Amino acid sequence: MSWDNELLERAHKIIELYPQKRSALGPLLYLAQEKDGFISDDSIVEISNLVDITEVQVKSVSSFYSMYKEEQTGTYLLSVCKSISCEINDSRSVINSVKEFTGLENYETDQDKLFTFEEVECIGACGGAPAIQVNYETVEGLTPEKTIEMCEWLKNDKPEIIVADQLQNKFGGTQSFDWAIEDNTGSAYTVPGFQNIGTAKEKDN
Amino acid sequence: MSDQININVNGSKIRTDSDQLIIEACEDSGIHIPRFCWHKRMDPVGMCRMCLVEIETPRGKALVPSCTTKVSEDLVVDTESEVVKKAQEGVLEFLLINHPLDCPVCDKAGECPLQDQTMAYGPGESRFVEDKRHFEKPIPISEIILLDRERCILCARCTRFSDEISGDPLIEFIQRGNKTEVNTFPDEPFRSYFSGNTVQICPVGALTSTSYRFKARPWDLKKVSSTSNCSSMGCSVELNVSQNKMLRILGEDNEFTNQGWLSDKGRYNFEYLHSEKRILKPVLNNDSTNEISINESMELISNEISVDNNSNISFIVGHNSTNEEYYALNNFAENLNKVNKDQNINVYLSDDYLYEGFFQNTDLLGKVQDLDLVDTIILWAQDIKDNLPTLYLRIRQAVKNGKKLVIFGHTNTAMKELADSYFGQEIISKNLEFNVEISEIPNFNELINNKNVLAIIGKSSPIQNTNPISNLINYLDKNSNLKILNCFAKGNTFGALQNIDLVKGLNEFINEFDSRKNNIVFTIGSNPVNSSIYSNQIKDKLMDANFVVSLDLFKNETTELANIILPTTSLGEKEGTFTNLEMRILKQNKILPTPGSVLNEWEYWSMMLNKIDIENNYESEFELNLQLCEEYLDKDNVPSFDNLNKPSNLDGVLNSKSINIEIENVEPGTLEILFVNRLYGDSSTQINSPSISMLGAERFIEMNNDTFIKHNLSSYTVNLVQGVITLQVKIKINNHLPNELIIAPLNRRGFRDIDTTKPYELIEVKNLEELSVN
Ligand code: SF4
Ligand code: FES
Ligand code: FES
Repeated sequence: MSWDNELLERAHKIIELYPQKRSALGPLLYLAQEKDGFISDDSIVEISNLVDITEVQVKSVSSFYSMYKEEQTGTYLLSVCKSISCEINDSRSVINSVKEFTGLENYETDQDKLFTFEEVECIGACGGAPAIQVNYETVEGLTPEKTIEMCEWLKNDKPEIIVADQLQNKFGGTQSFDWAIEDNTGSAYTVPGFQNIGTAKEKDN
Repeated sequence: MSDQININVNGSKIRTDSDQLIIEACEDSGIHIPRFCWHKRMDPVGMCRMCLVEIETPRGKALVPSCTTKVSEDLVVDTESEVVKKAQEGVLEFLLINHPLDCPVCDKAGECPLQDQTMAYGPGESRFVEDKRHFEKPIPISEIILLDRERCILCARCTRFSDEISGDPLIEFIQRGNKTEVNTFPDEPFRSYFSGNTVQICPVGALTSTSYRFKARPWDLKKVSSTSNCSSMGCSVELNVSQNKMLRILGEDNEFTNQGWLSDKGRYNFEYLHSEKRILKPVLNNDSTNEISINESMELISNEISVDNNSNISFIVGHNSTNEEYYALNNFAENLNKVNKDQNINVYLSDDYLYEGFFQNTDLLGKVQDLDLVDTIILWAQDIKDNLPTLYLRIRQAVKNGKKLVIFGHTNTAMKELADSYFGQEIISKNLEFNVEISEIPNFNELINNKNVLAIIGKSSPIQNTNPISNLINYLDKNSNLKILNCFAKGNTFGALQNIDLVKGLNEFINEFDSRKNNIVFTIGSNPVNSSIYSNQIKDKLMDANFVVSLDLFKNETTELANIILPTTSLGEKEGTFTNLEMRILKQNKILPTPGSVLNEWEYWSMMLNKIDIENNYESEFELNLQLCEEYLDKDNVPSFDNLNKPSNLDGVLNSKSINIEIENVEPGTLEILFVNRLYGDSSTQINSPSISMLGAERFIEMNNDTFIKHNLSSYTVNLVQGVITLQVKIKINNHLPNELIIAPLNRRGFRDIDTTKPYELIEVKNLEELSVN
């Protein structure tokens, strides 16, 4: 058994939220990713037992969606938007600045396992393009300079919890709209911070 | 019944059911629409777009997939317009982008829908110059199935089959977009009893089977329709032969029985036909160097049977003979009786699950098709998934269509998920008796009272008091509109029952064996010394017998004790009829020459009669068939060769004869172990079919977790000890089982010596040294 009791307890709570066990598959995969930084085969076995479907059915779903990672990610997952709105607002130079700072190509992770860089399709922040997500917390209206500043901050301060509002205040520009008023919760892992499945963490200042 | 409506296809009017899909309606009227993903026995998915047709809509003409669009009144369909043609060309061009076109080395070539449809509907030219994607090819995804992912066109037939039809989705799409591939989970091979069906329905050569790979080209194959004797379901099959070798068995779509599907045992259990180990000449005293001619063997046997002292002549029959052969045997026994009235002649069927069954009232006899017509299905029988795999598929389908399934007892745990009510240890004791009055079973009456009920009924265990089963049937008969499917699972059991005047069981053989008499025993296609819970006693009796003759394909534990072994024929080598569990009579056809100096069973009986100067009045299967047809109850509907050979009569003919079974009811005492027959075991046909020979090797027992804990076990490999017997076994946890009852496979090596009514011990295997001893 690769999942400890605490994780299993969280899993059972999630499963209870749904009329059918298998509907909990998505959130459970996030738990798996929170645990290892990717979806391990061990976790797939665990989930298949938890929701009564076969391992390969779990694998089929986890490999279909790109937010479920098949390989270990770094502490900070930088998802830089390359879709149309960002593109016309010069996301190319934002992308290049991330590449330059981290030395990474698309889908690569550095040796220290600090950053993983990926170019992604629209992240729904077109109004504030160009945009980036750090561990799925969105920051909008970036410039190449601010982007590098942000990366430096991540590298030096190594914040445990990433909160969208904080990122926006520190490094962001134009905002499409306020995602969550006075939001103090964020993500501590390379999974989206969802309160109902317990992946969101409160930041205490 | 749904209403009939009119639609217009390519300018002509067609009448069709209102709930049909366009592709079905067209098919029924002889208009073929090309397709890859659609299969009439599975739900449509609209995956491949090959079936696009143009229909008229209020907004003008539109291309729609005909496999997901239902017909409607006055619908106008065009399956041949320029637009449709262009769409078909486009779809094929896209499909071929990543297809490797390695047809010269592909098993499917020649019968490949992708190849054929590219010829018929394709663009003829490719504009694709980029690299195709590459995968390692082929990879084994189970012991018997290979996967070549490059060839896959992602039609999802295999994945849908394993999910929808067989219910063991071990094969799925992985990844997305142009990276999508079919695959299994790393440590979880495609170990399904039904995996071979995916090979048959894969529209390209992506899924292939080890037994057929590189063996033949489809255009070299000779084909004949026949009936499988893998189980008493009597699945319709097509035998494929090249250069006098059976190379492949395919499922044929028989609406009434298997609906196209086969179990892997039915599909792959044929290589034994050409095994070097087959007996090809009569053998004397189990000494291979002592081969004799057929004439000599007949002399020797007739000398024995014509001895004029009061002999006991016993026939132990198996389940692989044709109706004609059983009839000839019965005729032989009858004639012996006529010659010498003092002789005691009996026929025993080698199946521990035999009991008297419910045959008296023929009005109550049900059909497989009733599964789709009744409200409730009652199941109390041996493990259906392992012993009647295609019936299992039919039950699954019926449940999917809303039928209620009620399961009694502890053998069909694999079907618990399908059941509306599963009556386990609260209702049925370890000894397979009711713990409560039938009328008191919770939630039972509403499922059966005044409902249409089909009861699939048989013994769950070789040793079982059958009174509870009779009580259940009586209760059902009183309270519901009942139909019964007698569940004897093996091959042509029902053919034996119908064509032999009186059939007894192996226990009767032991009891009636009188060592003071001159005992002559014939075993016919049966190996009672290795396939019965009475094996040890039978072995003693056979050793004690004065003369033993075995008719068989291979040497085995029984033929070892025979004075004479007569080699016989098997599937594809003989012609005859087969009766399935619903009394449907189906045809088995010959496509292979008989090997060596092998004869059909009936030919031996006929020659023996001649030797003892009794005239027999048949000279061929055909004549035998004419004679046995005389006895069918429904005279107008006789399953003669003529009748069954018509191409339309793949379906067989329902008919029956009176059945007489005489079996003593045994009280089990206390059942400690429940024997089940697994699909794969150690039968000589399977052992001599290399592709599947190893599938029955694993020795495991099942128990629930509480029992596991109670035995203080910490590892899943243990020694099962009973008296002097020690068997190393794996333990699988099955929480549907009652406390303190373990399930063990009767047809795997070593288990037959175990007495299911005696206590046993489970002892942990301490270290690896001990592990390697066994
Ligand atoms: S392997 Fe064959 S049946 Fe399965 S999806 Fe691919 S082409 Fe279809
Ligand atoms: S295009 Fe970048 S957020 Fe929509
Ligand atoms: S057959 Fe209709 S989409 Fe495949």
